[in-house]
Amino acid sequence: MPAWKQAVAVAGSIATGMLISAVILIVSGVPASDLVNEFAMNVFDRQSFQAVLVQAAPLILVGIAASIGFRARFWNLGLEGQMVWGGIAATAVSIYHIGPDALRLPLMALFAMLAGMAWVAIPAFLRMRFAVNEIISTLLLNYVATYFLYDLLYGPWKDASDAYPHSPLYASAERLPDLGHGVNAALPLALVFVLIVWWFAEFSRSGFYLKFIYANPAMGQLVGVPIIPVVWTAVLMSGALAALGGFVVPSGIAGRLTEGFFAGYGFSGVLIAFLARNNAATAAVVAVLIAMLFVTGQSFQIFYQIPFAMVQMIQAIIVMCVAASEFFIRHRIRLQR
Amino acid sequence: MAPALELSGITKFFGDFLALDAAHLSVDYGEVHALLGENGAGKSSLMNVAAGLYSPDSGSIKVAGAPCRFSGPRESMQRGIGMIHQNFKLVKRFTIAENVLLANPRGSFRAGKAAIEREIREKAAALGFNLEPARRIDRLSIAEQQRVEIIKALVAGAGILILDEPTAVLTEGEAQRLLAMVRDIAQAGAAVILVTHKLRDVKAFAHRVTIMRGGKTVTTLDPARATADDLTTLMVGSNVVTPSRSTKSVGENRLTVTALASATVEGLTPLVDATFSVRSGEIYGIAGVGGNGQTELADALVGGRQPSAGTIAIKEPGSPTLAEITTATPRQRRDHGIASVPADRQSFGLATSLSIVDNFAVGFIHDGRFGTAARIDRGSMRRATEAAVREFEVQGVRSLWQRAGLLSGGNAQKLILAREFSRVPSIIVAHSPTRGLDVRACAAVHGRLVAARDAGAAVVLISEDLDEVLGISDRIGVMTRGRIVAEFDAPADRHAVGRAMVDHV
Repeated sequence: MPAWKQAVAVAGSIATGMLISAVILIVSGVPASDLVNEFAMNVFDRQSFQAVLVQAAPLILVGIAASIGFRARFWNLGLEGQMVWGGIAATAVSIYHIGPDALRLPLMALFAMLAGMAWVAIPAFLRMRFAVNEIISTLLLNYVATYFLYDLLYGPWKDASDAYPHSPLYASAERLPDLGHGVNAALPLALVFVLIVWWFAEFSRSGFYLKFIYANPAMGQLVGVPIIPVVWTAVLMSGALAALGGFVVPSGIAGRLTEGFFAGYGFSGVLIAFLARNNAATAAVVAVLIAMLFVTGQSFQIFYQIPFAMVQMIQAIIVMCVAASEFFIRHRIRLQR
Repeated sequence: MAPALELSGITKFFGDFLALDAAHLSVDYGEVHALLGENGAGKSSLMNVAAGLYSPDSGSIKVAGAPCRFSGPRESMQRGIGMIHQNFKLVKRFTIAENVLLANPRGSFRAGKAAIEREIREKAAALGFNLEPARRIDRLSIAEQQRVEIIKALVAGAGILILDEPTAVLTEGEAQRLLAMVRDIAQAGAAVILVTHKLRDVKAFAHRVTIMRGGKTVTTLDPARATADDLTTLMVGSNVVTPSRSTKSVGENRLTVTALASATVEGLTPLVDATFSVRSGEIYGIAGVGGNGQTELADALVGGRQPSAGTIAIKEPGSPTLAEITTATPRQRRDHGIASVPADRQSFGLATSLSIVDNFAVGFIHDGRFGTAARIDRGSMRRATEAAVREFEVQGVRSLWQRAGLLSGGNAQKLILAREFSRVPSIIVAHSPTRGLDVRACAAVHGRLVAARDAGAAVVLISEDLDEVLGISDRIGVMTRGRIVAEFDAPADRHAVGRAMVDHV
């Protein structure tokens, strides 16, 4: 099947998914005219567009995190757990005043990435040493990470000034700087990592090996592909990138570690990687589209009391439609009487 | 009375490969009819035609005198033909009754299950064994699973029972019991076709035997009136193969395999005690009927699976000492100059979804010739691939970036040879390198192996095709039940090798 037909099939399935979602939204009380307006506003309204760009940065990071893991056939469903640890490590740098002010942000990013790598190393080790299915272990470790976060936020790290379950506000040197137009430094940071991951996958020797690890690991091993080190590299990258997402959300948006800062990113990251066919550059574009969905969902939440879970449902509908389109890509349909 | 099953003039092509060449077979009710031949003789293909799995390109099928045409196994089953395949078609997590019911629907599930359970008990009792219908398949031994398959076919009302190499997966005692049972089934009036390559079983249990070779039916005779030697000759043919050259420059030992053994995997023959050595400048052919440990040997040599005991040692050209590589990784073995041509090229030789360039370059990329670790050089990859594709005459390449899976079998194999031989290996492990290839591609592959040998490589050629082994080997080892049981120097007596292969040493 030629590429353009595949593109048509995918675009058609996304449109179908949007249509189904629109019907559900209208049934739950959103006037049809507002539906179009709200979505179009993302692009044409300056403020909304800024909100989309702010939202896009962490989505890009979890999207490329998922895609590099998937390229190694490591089904990392622990993106949220790694984000949580990224957030915790970055906040620790803030709370314990590690390093001078000028180096505070890079240190927070570094600590976050190291924490993400450490957290993903557990399921990676279990899988490579004992063949424990990483789909289960990464997913379950999310709960462990989340409860550890709650323990910190309701305990030692609770903000003394207002007694809410969140950490004290970061100092200004610990917040990602505004680059004007309401967009913070998270977006260029994310784009730099898109470039790195894209290069790694397309032009590095390890990226070349990854193709074989994805396509036919048994054959790859026999022709000398160093499977274990390359898989480790990709998995650690995946954990580090997700954790970096867990750094840019608190540092770029709320300015502190909150109870639910990671919610919804894990699933979105998997979705982005899936829609982008594990390509980092495509993932960046898809992430922006998903960010629009996030922002639209937020305004629906405010104006029409539509729960945020609806956003996740719409994502799920679109995923199912795209997954179904695979059938049309792989099979030729012939009508027979 | 008309024969139970009559196949005549059956011809079947797979692509360019002629698998069946006007083959014929006639089987009567009440007899055990053996179908004898080497691997690749066409026995299984012919039986798959009878079972409705393959549709022949020409020829006719008659069941009890009535001509029929099968468009699938269900239709063949309706005519009373039941085939028991080498790999059982059972759902492992289901019970015996559920499996039998799946193949023989009986109205409602609940009522059907009770009826089926009764039928299973009756049939099993009639054959003289016990089978508890509520047991799960994955709790059964291989022999018991095979009985379930037979019961399944009998419940379906099969009057013609085809067993494809039924004793290959059984122990000696189990095999004897099975064959005695098969004889009883025939006694009760059914026609039983026993596909096999074991002469002993044929002589002891078959009423008649049809011998196939190279897709053709050679003859049908009474095994009691023929000697084992006669049968061997008919099976392997008597054409004399002239050795491709006289031994000239055989050098020192390159590869020494000592008492190699592999872990037992259910249903497979492990390596028990394989010992042999191969010298520089010779092709060491390993002949044997498939499933006697050849796959395990190839795996152990190239590093796909670790052996459980024994050693593999190599001596590289110019190196004064032996290096043991028993536990080395595939990468280390490649660096020691070992090249591998795997039997299943689509699974282990190529990544079919990746490009020709990728599949070629992956063999060399780690040594830095295609750019650095940070930046691979696709241009030099493409140029090297282009040169190798031309040198090894890989045809059907529209673009070097096309998927390797689009290449035909012969060209896919040439691409593998291009990758493996471009580095001038000192040891080559080739497993069934011409399986499924047409005559010209075969010749090309053999030419490459001979050229590598003449250039001083030690070549291990593992093949189930006796003609191939006899044709280009300088020395031949026969592998049976995980051991090298006999060795012959070329030119070897075809008959003697054939006898060693089928347990008549």
